[in-house]
Formats: sequence, structure tokens, C-alpha cells
Amino acid sequence: MPQTPREPRRRFLASAGALALGGLAPALVRAQGEALQLGVLTPLTGAGGFDGPRMAKAMQAVIDEVNGNGGLLGRKIVLVVEDGQTNPEAAVRAARKLIDVTKVPAIMGTWASAVTSAVAPLCWESKTFLTTVSGADSITKLPHQGYLIRTQPNNHLQAGKHAEFIASMGVKRCFMMSIQAPFAQPTQSRATEVLKEKGSQMVGTLIYDKDKTTYRSEVDQALRANPDLIYLNGYAPDVTILLRDLYRAGYGGKRFAQSYAVTTKVLDSLPHEVTEGVITVQPSADVTSPAYELAKKRLGVAEPDSYETQATDWASLVSLAIAKAKTPTGTGIRDSVRSICQGSGQKVYSAVEGLKLLAQGKDINYEGASGPCDFTEIGDITDCKFRYNKVENGKFVLLKVA
Amino acid sequence: MPSLAEVGQLVVNGVMAGTILAVPAIGLTAIYAVLRFPNFALASHATIGAFAGYVANAKLGLPLLPSVAMAFVVAGGVGVVSDETVLKRFRPAGYVTTAIASIALTIALENVLRFIFGNELRGYDLPIQRDFRIGAIRVGPQQLDNLAIAGVAMAALFGFLAFTRTGKAMRAVADNPMLAAIKGIDADTIARVVNFVGMGLAGLGGMLIGLDTTIDPLTGFRSILSVFAAAVVGGLGSIPGALVGALTVGVGEELCLLFLSPDYRSAVGFVAILLVLTLRPRGILGQRAF
Repeated sequence: MPQTPREPRRRFLASAGALALGGLAPALVRAQGEALQLGVLTPLTGAGGFDGPRMAKAMQAVIDEVNGNGGLLGRKIVLVVEDGQTNPEAAVRAARKLIDVTKVPAIMGTWASAVTSAVAPLCWESKTFLTTVSGADSITKLPHQGYLIRTQPNNHLQAGKHAEFIASMGVKRCFMMSIQAPFAQPTQSRATEVLKEKGSQMVGTLIYDKDKTTYRSEVDQALRANPDLIYLNGYAPDVTILLRDLYRAGYGGKRFAQSYAVTTKVLDSLPHEVTEGVITVQPSADVTSPAYELAKKRLGVAEPDSYETQATDWASLVSLAIAKAKTPTGTGIRDSVRSICQGSGQKVYSAVEGLKLLAQGKDINYEGASGPCDFTEIGDITDCKFRYNKVENGKFVLLKVA
Repeated sequence: MPSLAEVGQLVVNGVMAGTILAVPAIGLTAIYAVLRFPNFALASHATIGAFAGYVANAKLGLPLLPSVAMAFVVAGGVGVVSDETVLKRFRPAGYVTTAIASIALTIALENVLRFIFGNELRGYDLPIQRDFRIGAIRVGPQQLDNLAIAGVAMAALFGFLAFTRTGKAMRAVADNPMLAAIKGIDADTIARVVNFVGMGLAGLGGMLIGLDTTIDPLTGFRSILSVFAAAVVGGLGSIPGALVGALTVGVGEELCLLFLSPDYRSAVGFVAILLVLTLRPRGILGQRAF
């Protein structure tokens, strides 16, 4: 990541802080120093600079709604926003400030896996609750003692869901070609397992080297297994070559890839006949959920994406967990978060709705805009929706969200 | 046990990959023969050629062959200018310094391309044809075109070196620069010619790679290690050696698939370098230019 000079960064932080405070000014006046402070640590700059500000905005919208309805534990909530800069070193400094100076019970919003891996130990050691979108499997395997949840599907969940979808299309023989990357082997193993459970079969897998100018021999190897679907689990440059080589080889079966490997730019760079029928997948917000409708209205955005909805859910989950625990501490959030988002309680789709029921002493089950928000013991979500597109005549057409 | 057809297919794939690799490898080795440093800026010149061909084909609507010629000329031209303005100044400081400067140059040029064209993938405006079969062997029309273009370019280069006065002068400088200077051959002119031809071949190679794949600012950089491996295996500085080296690396990388997983394919080129340099330090054909 390029180093930002010190001065502009300070100026940026000052203006970002002013912006955040500006939105909260009335709340601050009313709260008169008794505000309940929650930490936000999203990347406002760097590679995550596109998602971070939108995530911070989504959290602010939920908090505004909660404040407008009487706040939390009788206090107003203030979000203290820090810039993680998509940089572990900068994010650690920002997290230290939130933990040691502001003394927040929760930090919401780490984006890059490297940042989350660096910040998580500070959080569990200081008993601060952390919510994240980072996808690396290793993150929830850290010894976080329950002080971490993630709303992004990990690799294991994604591979399983993709395999279920492939089997549901009636595919009997699947072949997976994966780029040499840390996710290659785990994805292949999990998909093989689920395909077998669903009555389909993984007829072969291979891991290919990146940066090759042709994959003719790899394609030959895949075609010898006679698959009716080939899962191309790589990145755009290599998947483009694979699509060309599969077309040249006369392969007529289905092709399946992640949406980041077959982008609109990839479709533009290839003749339509080469990409026709390719199916792509990406994690999706739960567009059928009432919580999604509420998020749309709250944000004034036609189609909030996966990151905005996950941020919506963190602010809601943390508020509800604090209300349930009746104390704004990281340990309180950790101990009560699962009791407000899973189980047999009454389903609620927003923080405000949940807070009202909790105040009446009722049990609730928060269902989020990003998904059902049910967590495993180590903090991974158990389910989430995926968006499946199909390429028709060089354009993406929505197949389904499931 | 692999079938004969399977082995045949791998050899055919390897020959095709090797021939494309040979074009920039010959460029690299020709520059090394005359100027005595490995010019890693070849990577960005391959990309420049690929983009020049792209502009000619996709933007100006020219057919394949004029676009290929454009790739050669533009990359060659940029090669002469970049050598005159940048690398020439480093040469008195020794080959290590110049080689490192060439890496810096290649990154700078790559970023110029990134600035102009952006990062996205681009494809040529050419139809992708289905392969046809000869017996059990699958052959692609595009690969055959590439093979022909690479073959003609290499034949032209060999003709140039063998029969023209400038070509002979180039070989003379490569063989013995001091003797060539005594005979009145101007080393600066020869340096310009070899840069034009060498980087032109790199540009041509970059376009051939792009025809088979898609192009982006990293097209050349992704292939430079294989190109370097081919040149070293054949004997750095030997032009026929670069061809032999490229075919060895190309076929070797494919045949290894018979008993290795494809993710080890790149390793084959580098194991070949280690083996050749251990057993035959000057490369398969030694270091005589021609």
C-alpha cells in the first residue's frame, strides 16, 4: 500500500472526525458526556477505501435510529470512528487508541484479513468485542475466547454452498481447476465432500500454476475426466485463459467461477461465444429479508451490498447484546450476543424493534440484512445467501439469490 | 501409464508454447551477446508490443499481420529510445548495475502503460477458433498462426545475421568487441540496431502471448522468468541456443505433467537452469552468438 504523507492523513482524519461528530452533534449535546462510546475501525483509505466509509455510514444510520428511540441503557450512543488505512500497523495504533484511551467495549469494522489478524489479539487481551468482514479461515481459529464474530462467509462455508448449488443444477460430474493459492486445497476438499453428500461427484481436481500463457494441457487433463461442470477457482487473468482454452478444446459443459474472476471487464475482453453460459457466484446480502428492506430505507440506497448490510448487522447485534447484558462491556457483549441472534426468541429485523422487546423482558432472535446472523462457537456464521449470475450474450443475468 | 496420444499432445503443446517463448528469448540473448548484460526491461517492451498490436488491431481495425508488424516496430523504437536515454549511461558501471537499472526501467515503463491503459484485461479483436484434430492430437488454428509468425520472424533474423552487412557487424561485435572496433565497426550504431531488433522481438513475443491470452500491464512481467530460463538453458548469448532453450523449457514443462501436478510446472524451467548450469555452465549451445 502506498504510504500517505503525514500531513494529508492528519487532515483527512481531522475532517473524517469532524464529519462523524457533525452528524452526532445533537446527540452529543443531549448526552452531556454520558454517551456510550462504540469503536468503528474501518479502512477509510487504502485498498478497502471503497467499502470502509460505506460501512461506517451504515453503522451510523443504525445508531442514529437507536438514539432517536431513546438510546441504549438510557444513554446515547456515540460512534468513535478511526481509519484502519487497510494497513495492519496503522490499524493497530488506531485500535490501541480506541481500547486504551476511549475504552470502547466493542470495535466494529475490520476489513482486510491481515488487519483483523493484527487487531484481534489486542481485542481479546483487553476483553473488547470485535466484528469483522475478513474472510480468511484462520481468523476465527485464533484463540479469541469468543471476543470475535464475523459475518462474512469463510472459505469452508462458501465451498459447501457452491457445491450444493452445483448439485442442485443436476450436475453429476464436477471437475475443479484451482489456482495455486491458500484457498485451493480447502475449497476442493469441502466441495468434494458436499457434492458426494448431495449425490453428485467430484471427478477430479487439479491445482495450476499462475502466470502461464496457456493451460492447454491442464484443460486436456480436466476433459479426460469427462465432467459436465468445471469449477474455475482462480483469478481473472488465469480464468480468462482457461475460458479461451476450454472453448478452443470444444468443451460444451457448464463453467462456474467466483464473480471476482469473471468480471464485466473479463466479459468485455472475450468474444461472447467464449463466455456464454458461464455461471458466477458471490456472497450476497439477504435481499428477501425484511431487515434488508429496512436497511434500504435507512440508507436511502437502492441495493445495499454485502458490506453495508454486514455493518448494519454489527451495529444492531452489538446494541442488542449490550441491552441484553445490561452492561456496556466487551465481556457482556460476548456472553449475550448469541442469546439475541439465535434460538427460539421472537424474530426481529432491526435494533430498535429488538430493544423494545428486550425492554419488555422478551427473548429475541435478530435476523439481519446480511443473513440470519447465527454464529458457531468460534464466531463464524452458519448460513448466508449467495448471488448466482449467468452470462448471456456478454452480460450478467441474475439466476437467483439463494 | 500415459498413452502415446497423451505424450504426443503434450509435446505438441510444448513445441507451441516453446516457439512463442523463443521469440522474446532470442531478443534477450541477442542484446546480451552484443551489450553483455541481461536486459530485464524486455518484460515491459513485450507488454508495449502487445499494447501497440492491440491499438493497431482493436482500435485502428488493422488485421493480424500489420498489427504484429506494429508490435515489432513500436517495441523496437521504444527499446532504442530507452537504451539511449537510460541504460546506456549505466553500462560503464558494469553489468550488474545495468541489469538492476533495467529492472527499474521495466517497472517504470509498466506504470506508464498502466497510466495510459489502466489495469483491466484487454483482448484482441480476433475471433477465437475451435481446435481441430489430426488423429488423436488437438491443434489450434491460432497456435498454428503464432507458430508461423514466430518461425518467419526467427528465419528473418537468421537471414539478417547471416547475409547482411549490419548483421555480420553485429556478430563481429558479439564475438570480439575490441577487434570489431579496430575494424572500424561503430559500437553505438550496432547497439542501436541490436536494441531495435531485440526489443522488437520482445514486442512481437508479447503480442503472440497476448493473442493466446489477454493483455494487461503485467503481460510481459509474468513471462520474463520463463524467457530468461529459456535463454540461459540454451546458452545466454547464443541465438540458436535461445530457440533450443525455449523448446526445451516448453516441452519440458509440458512433459512434466505426466508425473507431476500442474502447480509444479514453473519449477521445471528453473530446475532445468540448475541442471544445465551444473553440467554445462555455458548452456546447451554455449555462448557463441551465431
